[in-house]
Amino acid sequence: MSVPVLSLQAAELRRGGRSGPGLGPFNVQVSPGEQVAVLGPSGAGKSTLLKLMSGELAPTAGQVLLAGQPLAKRSPADRARRRAVLPQSQQVAFGLPVELVVGLGRWAGDSRRDDAHWVRQALAWAEAGHLHGRRYDQLSGGEQARVQMARVLAQLADVQDGLLMMDEPLASLDPGLQLALLGTLRRFCAERGHALVAVLHDIPQALNHFERLVLVHQGRVQADLPTGLAGRPAAELAASPAALPALERLFGLRLQAVALPQGGWALAARPLEAVA
Amino acid sequence: MDAPLEIRRARRPALPGWPFALLALAAAVVVAANSGAMDLGWADWQALMRGEASQGAQVLAQLRLPRVAFAVVVGASLGLAGALSQGLFRNPLADPSLLGIPGGAICAVALVLTVLSTWAGGLPAVWRPFVVPGAALAGAWLMCGLLQGVARWLAPGAVAGLLLSGLALNALAMAVVGLCTYLATDEQLRNLTFWQLGSLALANWPVVAVLAAGVAAVLGLSARWGQALNALALGEAVAAQVGVPVARLRRGLVLALAGLSGLAVAWCGLIGFIGLLAPHAARGLVGADARRVLPVSAWFGALLLLLADTVARTLVVPAELPVGILTALLGAPVLFVLLRRAQRDVGGGW
Repeated sequence: MSVPVLSLQAAELRRGGRSGPGLGPFNVQVSPGEQVAVLGPSGAGKSTLLKLMSGELAPTAGQVLLAGQPLAKRSPADRARRRAVLPQSQQVAFGLPVELVVGLGRWAGDSRRDDAHWVRQALAWAEAGHLHGRRYDQLSGGEQARVQMARVLAQLADVQDGLLMMDEPLASLDPGLQLALLGTLRRFCAERGHALVAVLHDIPQALNHFERLVLVHQGRVQADLPTGLAGRPAAELAASPAALPALERLFGLRLQAVALPQGGWALAARPLEAVA
Repeated sequence: MDAPLEIRRARRPALPGWPFALLALAAAVVVAANSGAMDLGWADWQALMRGEASQGAQVLAQLRLPRVAFAVVVGASLGLAGALSQGLFRNPLADPSLLGIPGGAICAVALVLTVLSTWAGGLPAVWRPFVVPGAALAGAWLMCGLLQGVARWLAPGAVAGLLLSGLALNALAMAVVGLCTYLATDEQLRNLTFWQLGSLALANWPVVAVLAAGVAAVLGLSARWGQALNALALGEAVAAQVGVPVARLRRGLVLALAGLSGLAVAWCGLIGFIGLLAPHAARGLVGADARRVLPVSAWFGALLLLLADTVARTLVVPAELPVGILTALLGAPVLFVLLRRAQRDVGGGW
């Protein structure tokens, strides 16, 4: 088997003193090209897990390997050529123009020659081509989110077998855009062999578009299971009912998958009390 | 998976930038050098170029030109320091003088001039040209370091928090300066007042050369640093993720910032607000891209201080006003406007 693109080996984060029990230890491997959704209730530690994966936070014990090498041993530029990270908050000081923000994704790139091309291309992928030339600070929240997405796409546009990490990439977008961008993201990663790790809130999205679920609860991985999507054509909605019991436990819900006449599943959610 | 490309051409500035900027600066230099207690004109420049020893040529060569060059390099230093500081602290109001960085420098100079020189039985005259700038640099650098610590501890984007921390640190530095003033002898006191008011009266060519070298070095780095500062505008975490070596960058920026504003303080005392006004004007002229903001800030700072110094020299001839008073008169109202805008930009609350 090939070297995992990302590997957390007993990585934990203990904060000294009063601020809670900390997180981990995490043992998570991401294979090249794999598409992983991270789900869990608010405050479970999803974003912190992602920060541990991206190297924004260093583990207090254990280690994090990026393509077989400890993150700490790789230079910032080397890391940037292998993985891109879309954080949740997207503050930008000063009124930088959109194409400059996206172009920053090209910082570590090997050549400056194609930068302008990739910037335009990435904006188009993120359904934000029309924002070229605008000031970032004058955009709406949803537009800013797409510009930031374009930035990470530009970062990994011309490399292979990388890793894309996103913290709620679709949170502030319209439903139509969410689906379009999910499709674009998956194609973008599949064409380049990139693995995709995304923190999500939406259960159907995770089941229908990702191969694997990592369920996080109280700072630990509660379950790590396939959705049954792997190997199927990308366009097919293919939520597997097999993952439902674990999701029910995670969120304290009753979930019911209903087979649709045109193929795939629709998901109905009810609170636990309503059933009892 | 090629989505349709919608391309909008970026706006281009109407005027060709560089020639115009240099021309404007050259014109300002000539006008500034011509004005003063004695009005000079084209004839005196011709005399100077022919190497004649006329009175006008003498005044030009020995008084006006060093002074004007000094104003240009100090203004450029302050403008550039302001742009670096705003980028480093990700804050459009982070003017070095508002953050107390020159305050730290003055504090160190005051300590050296009074306590140390009294204790060491007077500072040998030979050492003075090195000890004072050295102390100013160290003081500015220490203050930058303290502010860095405070800024990292504050919430990102906490405009007021950073300014108030600068205020507190500045108050501390000024308390030390006050103590030194209290302990100082009459002669030491005159020296200290010079630093607190800010003046370009000590103009001389070696100092101009040192400052010019500093400005040139930072401008030379500004293509690379400019893009790094742009990345920093997205936050330190994002900057690190796109590949910027953030810790190294921060050390370099702090050193350059302390160098530019510390050295300016060492030779001309406290000249405030240039570091606030210049980057703002630069952003208004060429947009927020730091690769352009850095050189344009230097240019605008030079122009601004040249103007202010010329007014300071000519307003009450034959005496002259400390230029720091003039820049404060000019800068304080602008600060009010910017504060109001900053408050509006972050939705009313800080």
